[in-house]
Amino acid sequence: MGYKKIKKDQLKTLFNELSKDCSLFVPSGSKGYVGFDPWDGNSADFTEWYRNTTIPPKALFFPPVEAMLRFRKGEAGYEIEELLPNGRPQIVFGVRPCDARALKITDTLFSDTYRDPYYLTRRENATIVGLACNEPCDTCFCTSLDISPGESQDVDLLCSDIGDELLMEAVSDKGEDLLSKMSGLSEASGEEESKAKQLGDSAKEKITRQIDTSGLLDKMRSSFENREYWEDVSRKCMSCGICTYVCPTCHCFDICDENNKKDGKRVRNWDSCKFPLFTRMPMENPRHEKWRRIRQRYHHKFEYFQMNFETIACTGCGRCIRECPVNVDVTEIIGGIQAL
Amino acid sequence: MENRLKEEAGKLLKEGKVDYIVGYGKGTVNLRTSPLITNKEEDLEGLVINPFIANNLSRYPVELKGRVGIVVKGCDSRSLTSLMQDKKVKREDLIIFGVPCEGVVDLKKLAGQIGAEIDRVTDAEKEGENLTLQVDGSKKTIPFRDVIFDKCYGCEHPTPLEYDMLLGSEVAPNLDIEKSLERIKELEGMDAQERWNYWKEQFSKCIRCYGCRNVCPACFCERCFVDVNMPQWVATYATWQDNLTFQLIRTLHVAGRCSDCGECERACPVGIPLRSLQRKMVEEVKDLFGHEVGIDKDAPPVFSHYEATDPDEFMK
Amino acid sequence: MEGDNVYLPHVMKIEKVIRETQNIKTFHFNFKDESQKSKFSFKSGQFAEYSIFGEGEATFCVSSSPTRMDYLEFSVMKAGKVTAAIHELQEGDEIGFRGPYGNWFPLELLEGKNLVFVGGGIGLAPLRSLIWNVLDNRDTYEDVTILYGARSPADLSFKYDLEAWEKDDAVNMYTTVDNGDEDWTGRVGLIPPVLEEIGPSPENTVAITCGPPIMIKFTLMSLEKLGFTNDQILTTLEMKMKCGIGKCGRCNIGNIYVCKDGPVFTNAQIQNFLSNEF
Repeated sequence: MGYKKIKKDQLKTLFNELSKDCSLFVPSGSKGYVGFDPWDGNSADFTEWYRNTTIPPKALFFPPVEAMLRFRKGEAGYEIEELLPNGRPQIVFGVRPCDARALKITDTLFSDTYRDPYYLTRRENATIVGLACNEPCDTCFCTSLDISPGESQDVDLLCSDIGDELLMEAVSDKGEDLLSKMSGLSEASGEEESKAKQLGDSAKEKITRQIDTSGLLDKMRSSFENREYWEDVSRKCMSCGICTYVCPTCHCFDICDENNKKDGKRVRNWDSCKFPLFTRMPMENPRHEKWRRIRQRYHHKFEYFQMNFETIACTGCGRCIRECPVNVDVTEIIGGIQAL
Repeated sequence: MENRLKEEAGKLLKEGKVDYIVGYGKGTVNLRTSPLITNKEEDLEGLVINPFIANNLSRYPVELKGRVGIVVKGCDSRSLTSLMQDKKVKREDLIIFGVPCEGVVDLKKLAGQIGAEIDRVTDAEKEGENLTLQVDGSKKTIPFRDVIFDKCYGCEHPTPLEYDMLLGSEVAPNLDIEKSLERIKELEGMDAQERWNYWKEQFSKCIRCYGCRNVCPACFCERCFVDVNMPQWVATYATWQDNLTFQLIRTLHVAGRCSDCGECERACPVGIPLRSLQRKMVEEVKDLFGHEVGIDKDAPPVFSHYEATDPDEFMK
Repeated sequence: MEGDNVYLPHVMKIEKVIRETQNIKTFHFNFKDESQKSKFSFKSGQFAEYSIFGEGEATFCVSSSPTRMDYLEFSVMKAGKVTAAIHELQEGDEIGFRGPYGNWFPLELLEGKNLVFVGGGIGLAPLRSLIWNVLDNRDTYEDVTILYGARSPADLSFKYDLEAWEKDDAVNMYTTVDNGDEDWTGRVGLIPPVLEEIGPSPENTVAITCGPPIMIKFTLMSLEKLGFTNDQILTTLEMKMKCGIGKCGRCNIGNIYVCKDGPVFTNAQIQNFLSNEF
């Protein structure tokens, strides 16, 4: 199947149609920040302003809070009810290449050894429609991590914004399937194809921020015991969880019970290695000091994850840089390690 | 100004009068500045003072061990004074560089005006009443007061009240009280149900990253009540009810300590208008106790002492 | 599909509560749904996530031996919210249980070896699972030496086990306390010097140790003095855990997850990844 295209002013009709049989999520700024919201039938003009979301698409698969099970105490004692996500198909429209890669990264973690049924059920039910970047942010550095703003093999279907139209190309079988169900598409010309490619190339050139990943594994290892370095780079950090929560690959969580012994839910919620309580035990806390927590975060992403899954757990989306209130910058920290 | 700061800060480090300098450096993101905390003289070359120095740095001396030379704007200086009142920092451990402030640019507002161009601004300066920007080789002029933080419209003390050295000349308040209270008035105009719905919606967004709490200089508890689980006052996971409870209790805890620096709202990644709560509390504390935060470093904190004239209507 | 969800707990019934010390209790428990019991197996050293519904989950090892499956056991020191709730449990109460998780003591490597168990305080819990396992197959192993210590006589847990091992001619049993009291006629002294005094030979021997971090630290030094190599020392690590299955990130140290890759490690492994993190 070749490239298809759709006029941007037809997106609304397309979305209305798609959302009949599935849950459709699109980028939206209606809540005061940009996130993926359920399609509300209103405006599909996000292509005009959308660069990336603040909260990454991981939140659709690994939500900030989710109920895992319900426990109820009756005459015969406790009964447990499993609360798995419903099987309704989902389409997420407008996922950037960095975030699509991030989902592949969290896939490995959540399917490793023990299947995580909550995350994986949602993933299996989802079709990811990517949207190539024409206007990357100055915080983006995806190209340092083998990601290209203009292309993606990590999505099911990839759209490229070529002006008045979106070009569409199926990447996976799921994508083929979705494409074949869409109405209002027409064939794209070779010229339009090359325009999309050109825009992708030019987006790539706009990305100047970078990290050097060559030999990084060894460098990370030898930086571990450099306490002075970690104290220096962590001094301004406020120990909040913003960088971890807006990170598309951070996946740490907690499991808590609702405070009700008779009838309550067990929930899973985001947690962060930036919080001192994360590793606090009654008698000791191995990461009570801030520099140890910062070190853990970067080592986990750039060393440990790579050792275990052969990929760095960072996609260069730049969110942690954009959202950090004190401008802690991962590219600066990795650059500093490379320079040690 | 910058040069004088670099020079004086350098002297302090060299003479061993302070262990750290806490100021602003150039950020790694276009237009942004970053806290610059250092004990090395060579780093001081990076110190900047410009209309983008958003952070309230007064929290750092609490954490840093030793004596600190610190750069503060008007609102920050009042946070710092409040910390002195609470005995979290000692005046004698600080050398304070005061920056008279004409307002700080809110980069979200600026991005709202110029969109993606904000990444391509190569130079930005305040010239008179305007912010002039160099974008893609051409000059762009924006009225300065259109892009400053909301808090700045209500700033009664743009010149720091407590300092050892003032960098520049005093700035008179340029108040636009109406504009500064706009959002509060809007909220007050709602009926109770509308207001409840509004906050419910806002706190449904909260992801409990604790950005608001952790950047707040008034949030200095060793262990925050949300991190205590015996008893568990609020759930540690994000539900709008618990999020709201968390923020309301936080608002009460920082009452009489909040200088309306607005860092909570600036930090919030999901855009909850937290300053509306904090600003309202500032007004309440002023109305009820005649107390303005961070004015007198020798006065006891307003809620840890009693005066016969304190209002007691709630007891009747 | 039922049974697929690794996070779903079994409901268990508490059959007996034993007060070990002022702040440690042991619980005997069993499957509420007896049909689940036959499907369940575990190995010494493995742990599980136990929950009090409405309070939350906490991590403890299974402290009974897989050779004795009439009931399962776990022991808990009261320290926080969930452990305090666990201490309130009465016979007949129900708890949640999911597991077993993690690795186990490598029995096949212990066969034909002399075994030296060194336990401190509640650290005997994972060791006793293995000790009973060994004693129930006594002929498979050579000498068995057990050194157990606690702060005071009142802090000694599992006194019924200590008594049984004391009486067992096939066990060299040593008990010590840091500080005695007027009724205490036994040994007084910290575990590491007592261990050195006993002086087990490293020849064809494996030492297995568990206890508070400070005790472990000095015990490892004593074992080294005695000539034990890092490969001859096994320990189980304690680290804050939540999911138990290598996902939630809490127990990550280096590239290992204590829950999934441990909790049982040789000292050689530990030296490798702990580096100077702790």
